[in-house]
Amino acid sequence: MSAIYKVSYVVIGESHPGAILNTDHKPNVGDHITLGGREFILVEIVDLMPARGEFHFLHATLRPAPA
Amino acid sequence: MDLLPILSKVELFDGLTDSELADVARICKQREYRTGQTITSQGEPGGELFVIADGFVEVLVSPSSQNPAPRTVVHLGRGQLFGEMALVDYGPRSATVKSIADHTLIQTIDRDDFNRLCEANHHLGFIVMRNMAADLSFKLRHYHLTGR
Repeated sequence: MSAIYKVSYVVIGESHPGAILNTDHKPNVGDHITLGGREFILVEIVDLMPARGEFHFLHATLRPAPA
Repeated sequence: MDLLPILSKVELFDGLTDSELADVARICKQREYRTGQTITSQGEPGGELFVIADGFVEVLVSPSSQNPAPRTVVHLGRGQLFGEMALVDYGPRSATVKSIADHTLIQTIDRDDFNRLCEANHHLGFIVMRNMAADLSFKLRHYHLTGR
């Protein structure tokens, strides 16, 4: 069974509401993340809750990508 | 469409056997939405649970009748569910949910079908209700971290 990462994304530096979604790959600091057509840079990622089965629960902080 | 590979990647159904997943698949109905289409409306009665198989939705809340301007509180993507509050508490929809992507695919589960399944199979009912509580907990933690 492959891991599934459920990620809580919060955006700092603007009023974006953030997002929750599943991904097959663990996001890493420095990744470029696209939400609603906007591009962001991942600046921090932490475990939000302990993993259960193949599900991992993460919290990621994003900043708007430079234009 | 074979729903089992999709449902097996949804946290709500994590821990179900293949046979139980097949039972869930039998009560799912698929709908497709385009950008801007409303899926649920705040204040309306609701009797369905929604699982996002693909695409994105935005969740909007109007704080009060005196301040009806809706505010987007979160975007939800693949694997997430919504509509679970009205499913379990029988209250009106707490938010308006709109598709923000073309070809957003939603699996809907009727409350009566869902309850019948949970009552007929208590293992399935326990697992799904536990996972639903964990999902609500995750959303609450996300909400706290947004600092709103």
